[in-house]
Amino acid sequence: MNAVTPLVHSDKPVSKVLVLHEGRKHAAAIKAFCAANDLVPHKVRSDALLPFLAANIDLGGILLADDYGGSPSAAWRTARAIRTLRPELPIFLRRGPDFRVDDVPADLRHAFCAIYAADDMGVLRQAVSDYIFSLVYPNALVRGISEISEAILAERFSDWHVRWDTPFVVHDRVIFGEVLSLIQLESAWCRGYMMLQAEEAALLSLPVEGASNDGSDFRGGNSLLSELTNLIWGSFKNRFIGTAVASPAHQVQVPLIVNLDHRYMSFGTRDPQLCFRYTLTRADGERRVTLLQRFVFNINWLPEQFRELTQAEIGTADAGALELF
Amino acid sequence: MARILVVDDSSTVRDEVAGFLKTNGIDVAIAVDGKDGLAKLQADPGIKLVIADINMPNMDGLTMVEKIRSDLGNHAVNLIMLTTESSPQMKERGKAAGVKGWIVKPFKGAAVLEAFKKMVA
Repeated sequence: MNAVTPLVHSDKPVSKVLVLHEGRKHAAAIKAFCAANDLVPHKVRSDALLPFLAANIDLGGILLADDYGGSPSAAWRTARAIRTLRPELPIFLRRGPDFRVDDVPADLRHAFCAIYAADDMGVLRQAVSDYIFSLVYPNALVRGISEISEAILAERFSDWHVRWDTPFVVHDRVIFGEVLSLIQLESAWCRGYMMLQAEEAALLSLPVEGASNDGSDFRGGNSLLSELTNLIWGSFKNRFIGTAVASPAHQVQVPLIVNLDHRYMSFGTRDPQLCFRYTLTRADGERRVTLLQRFVFNINWLPEQFRELTQAEIGTADAGALELF
Repeated sequence: MARILVVDDSSTVRDEVAGFLKTNGIDVAIAVDGKDGLAKLQADPGIKLVIADINMPNMDGLTMVEKIRSDLGNHAVNLIMLTTESSPQMKERGKAAGVKGWIVKPFKGAAVLEAFKKMVA
């Protein structure tokens, strides 16, 4: 799995985009555009594109030039391959200054979320805003999630170093690793899920105090991921939800689809997911565990009603201390 | 011998808490949810303290402690919640049900060992 390039930690999520442009003519413009629009560009050799797309990576979208591969027909082939492998990814098509929409093959006209001229980046900017950063995640929420999760991991695994990358949004629906936890988040301002994803072998290398299992029983990994999820969920509720219950008007449900063969999971929405990646490294540097955390507010998302609870609302108890009544 | 009943649906937490208590010379019983906890408590008069999670399948921890006091009529056993929940409303419900103490996870054994020993003495 390729990590999003760590930037200076920010409360504003970034997104990784695959840039399928050739030649140097527009490279500087794309680089500058990405830097100005919270995008982390990623390039791949054309002969490695399909394996790259098939791999488990976190992408927000694809910037495709209509001459990628040497000609428009080659670019259309690439677009079809992307649609087959990753239909959930928005594709932004760059064309020459005098382009016509009707010379795009009919079967591909709806494949592109935006078609823009190389000399008019305003169209691309708007499309990136609409399709990649279509949901607003309040900075206090993003910062709070990082703080909560990092503190819990650091407390739980005191001999391990915890590092987190800049939060990011993704459109792909591919599950990282083999173990996945899922817990519902429900409040007046959100309804959705939090997921933690991990590779099983790495997960089993994490220590569990008092555990009788020697790391060979997969259920030990399941239980550990479940407990980490529970701890983060509890802190999330205590800090951001409190007693703010969801409105009965929002008590709808949608089916979740999991395709085990493709390691694909859909929540029935095309909205981007808010992601965090934590890397735990043992003090001796010999072992490394990656945990991917995703938030998908697929049923209700009202960031304007979001607020962090006050200390009085949260209560005063220190974690681990016994409060006697 | 006095025992502590640890009630949690997470085997990770059960192992961690029970392992810590055993290491410190305390006899331990375990239950996997509130329903199991009620049954274990009813069957074992040696249990002097129940440490229970709240969010569990089949029967949650607060319902369990309410039933310990009402259905079992057991007002002697000490009840402590070990949970990720920390809202004042949840604690009020616990207090009303006869819960004696509240620990917000994660479990830090050294911080609570002496209090536990007193409760089972």
